[in-house]
Amino acid sequence: MASTEGDRKVRISKIAGRYLVFDIDDVAYIRREHGICAVFTGTMPQNPTQNVFLGLPLELYAEDAKMLLDRKVAYIADDPLEHLNKLKSMDDETRKSYLQSIKTQRRNAQLVFDEAKAQSQARHKDKRKPKQQLQVPVVVPTELPPASVNDDAATTTVEQKEEESLFGESSSKPAPAASQKPPVKEKLPAITPTTSNAMLSSDDGTSNPADVENHTALPLYSYLNESGYFITPGLRFGGDFSVYPGDPFRYHAHYMANSYGWDEKIPMLDLVTSGRLGTAVKKSFLMGGQKPATGDSEAGELRAFCIEWAGM
Amino acid sequence: MPLDDDLEDNPTLTPPPPTTNTATMDEGAAAGDLEEPEDVPTADFRLFASTYSKTKNISAQTIRKGEKDFESHGTRAQQSALDASREAMRDVLSYTRVHHTAKQGGWCRGWVFGDWWREWPEDWEEMQRAKGGKGEGEGKEGDGEKRVLPPLHVRDRVVVLEHSNVATQTLGRAVTGLPKDKPARGREWLLPEEALYLVERGSLDLWWPTRGIEEIFPADGSSPFTNTATKPTTTTTAGEEGEGQEEDEEEDDEYKYGFPLSLQAAYALLIGEDGERGKVSLQKFQVFSNLKRAGYNVIRAPSYSPPIPDDISATQEKPKSISEWLISCLPSSKSSAIDHPPYGPLVPPGLYRSYSTIYNHLSLRPSATSQPSPPVTPQSKSEDSPFKIHYHLYRASTKFVRTRPPPPDFYLSVISATDTSIPTLTEISSLLSSVPADLPKQEWLTGGPSRLYARLKHGYRNVLLAVNDHGVINYMRFAKGGFEREELFRGLDQRVEWSNNWKAGGGKGGGGGGGGKKSGNNGRGSRGGRGGGRGGRGGRGGRGRGN
Repeated sequence: MASTEGDRKVRISKIAGRYLVFDIDDVAYIRREHGICAVFTGTMPQNPTQNVFLGLPLELYAEDAKMLLDRKVAYIADDPLEHLNKLKSMDDETRKSYLQSIKTQRRNAQLVFDEAKAQSQARHKDKRKPKQQLQVPVVVPTELPPASVNDDAATTTVEQKEEESLFGESSSKPAPAASQKPPVKEKLPAITPTTSNAMLSSDDGTSNPADVENHTALPLYSYLNESGYFITPGLRFGGDFSVYPGDPFRYHAHYMANSYGWDEKIPMLDLVTSGRLGTAVKKSFLMGGQKPATGDSEAGELRAFCIEWAGM
Repeated sequence: MPLDDDLEDNPTLTPPPPTTNTATMDEGAAAGDLEEPEDVPTADFRLFASTYSKTKNISAQTIRKGEKDFESHGTRAQQSALDASREAMRDVLSYTRVHHTAKQGGWCRGWVFGDWWREWPEDWEEMQRAKGGKGEGEGKEGDGEKRVLPPLHVRDRVVVLEHSNVATQTLGRAVTGLPKDKPARGREWLLPEEALYLVERGSLDLWWPTRGIEEIFPADGSSPFTNTATKPTTTTTAGEEGEGQEEDEEEDDEYKYGFPLSLQAAYALLIGEDGERGKVSLQKFQVFSNLKRAGYNVIRAPSYSPPIPDDISATQEKPKSISEWLISCLPSSKSSAIDHPPYGPLVPPGLYRSYSTIYNHLSLRPSATSQPSPPVTPQSKSEDSPFKIHYHLYRASTKFVRTRPPPPDFYLSVISATDTSIPTLTEISSLLSSVPADLPKQEWLTGGPSRLYARLKHGYRNVLLAVNDHGVINYMRFAKGGFEREELFRGLDQRVEWSNNWKAGGGKGGGGGGGGKKSGNNGRGSRGGRGGGRGGRGGRGGRGRGN
């Protein structure tokens, strides 16, 4: 990972005008290196009946996508088109390598399950042991395998069988049917990979560069981001953005921010409303805008202000 | 807000209690170290363990350890806490969805056939409806009442299920009444949001077909997968033959008809622009899965608007007391517009015995509901208005059968937070008029002024708006209030009546008058908690004097 960090290109999937990231490595990378946390929107397969903590994909703001694109660490991929093209006319080589990657994952999953099974069997065995010792204290207690023994699956099964044969006569019904079964070669579990990386070409968007639209708040957004702030949607607090002084894992939001045009008239009442609202949720209301480009100077000079309710 | 209440009431909606194993990730890893001696194979397992095993305890605590800080103070403790959180997040999210093919009912496979129903007539639902009684458009009349069946959205169904399991029970519909030679007859088809939701929660293995639907789901109902191995889910025979070459062949055979898709591919194939056939917009999908995760049953609302009977008018027939009837008999009672002279006071000088007369004089503008509402024509319901009913919601406690769902508990419209403004009056009234009346509870309706605020808050029709801001969703409830029905001056009148009665009853010593009034008050169905209360006291007083 660390070695590839330098030339890592984050794949941003553009699907119906939305910007999504599916690769967990990409997600971790932009969070760590680019201060973008965005919003997890997917259901967590491990715990699918809660809304507190969600999983992949990550939905980016258009501003996030544009910022990453400008920093040349990401590319925008037209996922629906690319997928359809790939799926409808997949050459043999791609198909083979895709299936191969799925097969590998399935085997790995099977290994994990076998291991888990062996472990639970071992634990089961450990639990049963004291009882048996009570029943037959004279029978070879020293020959019991030590509790911490945890070899690979095959050995464990063998040991367990030995043990059961040892206790077979003395204990009433120690052998569960499952462990008596001959080791059936089960069909490998099926897999739904999270990303299509194995199927899609590693083309990093250079051949078909797509751009990002609708990033009106980009100046303020990137200004805050470059100052080390993390930004999430403002819906929770009633502004355009919620602004955190660091990773939202660790900090509460300090500001709720709105972006305005340079010459945009802002009704006084909006300021009062937002200022009061910000105070009510213990944030300051931040607003900012960028001076537009004039004939001789480039766009620049972003000004941001904070408004707090004086409470006189 | 009722939705909040529901969230609290419904056990399935509350975030799951933290797993009994409260060990943090670090402790878990440490324990793992203790258990596993460092031999090579186990190290490998550990490498994959977070990817495939579900048993990791995932709770908010895992990720957000401890209290948040106000700001960075540059300490190593803070940094390591953050690193731990990020590492935990990464661990948890690197999970790969695994389907246990061997377990009975554990595996559910769906195939993407995006264009299969493309030719299906767009107005099929309406045709069925017009035909009446036949097909899916109309309910069986088994239980006496005809239930409007949910629309099938046949054209939008893009994923056909090969198996079904617990998770698919409330999702998907079969299209019936097809000719016998049609492949995949009687199979369940999923809408894009349903399929994607199932893929996301790890309940559906989505496959891309490389053969035609005729081969995968032959019309005779047989399955090609049962042919390849006599026992469909276990390839025991093939496995026993040996590993290596043969296994590869067997697995290639397994991929003869298609191959599994990734989550990313599922998104790419099923998410589209708003209104695109066979796709769902990301916003709607996020709201759909948010509600599904919360335990609601959600079905797609019909794209056409069925005629809504106006139930409100029926409820206006309230039992009237004699006094109210008398008041309504007065020439200047409500509803009959008063002809005001072109100048002069609104309330002409004179002797008034009731507040109602005065208030009726003061009322210049008829209320919106007392007027016949303009019929909502298809034109006035502009097609591009984002305010439409998109989903029908059922509480988890509502008995729900997907083929014959009861009337929805809620009607929901999905709105983008960034591209949509506050609805205009036309938009909101056309949205509200597209749902049936949802009256306040009966005990609120008859509860008199004490239930005034409950009635006002609940309203007479309501719609939920799901406002989606890049995946953060907020639910709002828009209700049509019934302010014009809560005529507070009626209570004033009752008070006047009572004080008059009290004086009269006291003077004449007629307890009977008080008693009669009292029964009248009861018969009115206790319309006035406050007025009634006063009246009651007055009545007692009157009787006391009479005795």
